[in-house]
Amino acid sequence: MNTTLGTRIAPRPLGLSESWRRRLPLLPALVFTILLTQVPFVMSIWYSLTDWKVVPPTPRQFVGLGNYGKLVSDHFFRQAAWTSIELTVVPVLGSILLGTAFALLLDRKFFGQGLVRTLLITPFLLMPVVVGLIWKNQMFHGLYGVINWVIEKLGGTPVEFISRYPTWAIAATLIWQWTPFMMLIILAGLQSQPGDVLEAAKVDGATPFGIFRQLTLGHLRPYMELGILLGTVYLIQVYDQVAVMTGGGPGSTNLPYFVFERSIGGGWDFGRASSYSIVVVIASIIIATVALRVLSGLLKGEEIA
Amino acid sequence: MTSVRYDNATRTYEGTSVPAVDALDLDIGDGELLVLVGPSGSGKSTALRMLAGLEPLDGGSIRIGDRDVSNVRPRDRDIAMVFQNYALYPQLTVADNMGFALKQAGVPKEERRTRVREAARVLDLEPYLDRKPKHLSGGQRQRVAMGRAIVRRPAVYLMDEPLSNLDAKLRVQTRTEVVELQARLGVTTVYVTHDQVEAMTMGHRVAVLKDGVLQQCDTPRKLYHEPLNLFVAGFIGSPAMNLVPVGDERPLRLGGSAIELARPGDAALAEISGAITVGFRPEALQVGEGPLRAKIRTVEDLGSEVFVHLSLEHRGQPLALVSKMMPPFDGEPGDSIGLQIIGATHLFADDGSRVVSTTATLQAASAPAGVASDASPAAP
Ligand SMILES: Nc1ncnc2c1ncn2[C@@H]1O[C@H](COP(=O)(O)OP(=O)(O)O)[C@@H](O)[C@H]1O
Ligand SMILES: [Mg+2]
Repeated sequence: MNTTLGTRIAPRPLGLSESWRRRLPLLPALVFTILLTQVPFVMSIWYSLTDWKVVPPTPRQFVGLGNYGKLVSDHFFRQAAWTSIELTVVPVLGSILLGTAFALLLDRKFFGQGLVRTLLITPFLLMPVVVGLIWKNQMFHGLYGVINWVIEKLGGTPVEFISRYPTWAIAATLIWQWTPFMMLIILAGLQSQPGDVLEAAKVDGATPFGIFRQLTLGHLRPYMELGILLGTVYLIQVYDQVAVMTGGGPGSTNLPYFVFERSIGGGWDFGRASSYSIVVVIASIIIATVALRVLSGLLKGEEIA
Repeated sequence: MTSVRYDNATRTYEGTSVPAVDALDLDIGDGELLVLVGPSGSGKSTALRMLAGLEPLDGGSIRIGDRDVSNVRPRDRDIAMVFQNYALYPQLTVADNMGFALKQAGVPKEERRTRVREAARVLDLEPYLDRKPKHLSGGQRQRVAMGRAIVRRPAVYLMDEPLSNLDAKLRVQTRTEVVELQARLGVTTVYVTHDQVEAMTMGHRVAVLKDGVLQQCDTPRKLYHEPLNLFVAGFIGSPAMNLVPVGDERPLRLGGSAIELARPGDAALAEISGAITVGFRPEALQVGEGPLRAKIRTVEDLGSEVFVHLSLEHRGQPLALVSKMMPPFDGEPGDSIGLQIIGATHLFADDGSRVVSTTATLQAASAPAGVASDASPAAP
């Protein structure tokens, strides 16, 4: 391991001491990061193997995989897991579709291009809590939300979006926030498509839609996969919008919010809450592993081409 | 009938003031292989892309057959194009690359397959039909690009430097194959190259471009022997023609010798005023016996022929000349040696246009020029 790394950096193999001397300056940061991320993680694993209720205070007891065994039959956990899947799949697919549409519109020269692009990116630059508040109060609100104002102007009756469709309301917010990210990835993909290939297709008689379907889509596939995987890893852990917009209201409790509810949010059952979070982490790790493989495949593909 | 006609066609790119192709007039016959040649940046690709419909016209028109295609989309022009970097569809297999245009045209699957097979057989691509382009060598990719064009029977083939990414040997070999293929298919072809050897060996006619302006369009033989101007004279031929500026003195002098022209040249000379450039090809300059002395700089012995690079003092400045000799030649760099002109000699006027082509001989320095020109049946 040391030697392979050493040979890749320099043509001559480095001695062990030399390679360590080079890495020494990185060590404090590395140790700090490990302490900060891995210690709590390991502690969570430990907690998840115990029965530990804080209110009323009971002594912590090692129960092995008991908490995980209960997961399967826990109706609330299954509900939260399903909501997590909904709140991940819908926003990811929605934002990749919208992002692709915007990227296709942006992938040409027009007046004010830079300004439009910057404006389209802004939702991604907002804090999730702020996004949640904007949508809850300015957009979805039953009395003074913009959407209901439009609906009334058009002669419809106002809808209490957040209480009637809590999960969809959150999903819409997430789509709004994540579309710019997908758009940037797809735009990078579009702009890396060689111009002469597109010209060859034009000369070969393909229509614009035919070119998109037969060539561009295939070219974009790895970029879409990357966007989907990165989006999934992040969105599976969404907490802010749920907390701000519905507080886990009817059917919108996803796993991260469920962890909160069962622990410091009032449940005070740290043992079981920890087991939920471990499940989320494992799911994220699986997705992230696939994501990294796709990413490295993408980079390798560029090298060859 | 698929002739092609550029009529005053002009293209100026956005953000530039000089047209990349300036009022191009060109007629290409049915089944002809016309080569567009010129130095880099002379507008060859632009001219081809205008014909393909990939660049709009800023003036003039282009006809394919009887149809004015100036405002027709590329896909409706019935052309096939081979790109310099091949522009293969990276996600498609070789077979799908070659069948792509047929698929767009709605050709049924079975017929598509037979036509792709047929083209693959011609191009020796049969073993690679299921591969993706990135798993092919440069030469194979080039053939796929050709194959993509020949599975179709378009009105015109357009090729933009299709051989420039091949190594020298493969290039010469493929050159012949392209010529044979074109002759067999009989499809009108416009072929772009910056390599004048490629142009001369491939083209039925060759059009020479410079700075977007057409200089001359003629058969290779005529371009070589009767270049219309200094640019064509210098561009066509390797090594290049010896071009000697001789100013406006009469008689014409090269170094210390007088250049004596045969009758027609002499008469034409009397008509020209202003500075003149004298041009003669390397094979028209003989090294060995001769009235003018020059120093050998280098000798390139290619086996079948020898190029002797010479220098001499001309009008107070060093002048480089090249001679092409038949081997054996045993001069050494540094030797002083005699020169004589033994072949066609061209005179170019001040504006670069060729005025006359004739034969000339060099006279010894001591001979008074006026006397020499009267007493001179001395061509070797
Ligand atoms: N897309 C473009 N925008 C602006 N100028 C261009 C563009 N493409 C080519 N040119 C210019 O037009 C001229 C002719 O280019 P080109 O036709 O590519 O020449 P060639 O193929 O003979 O090398 C060059 O001066 C080049 O810089
Ligand atoms: Mg070019």
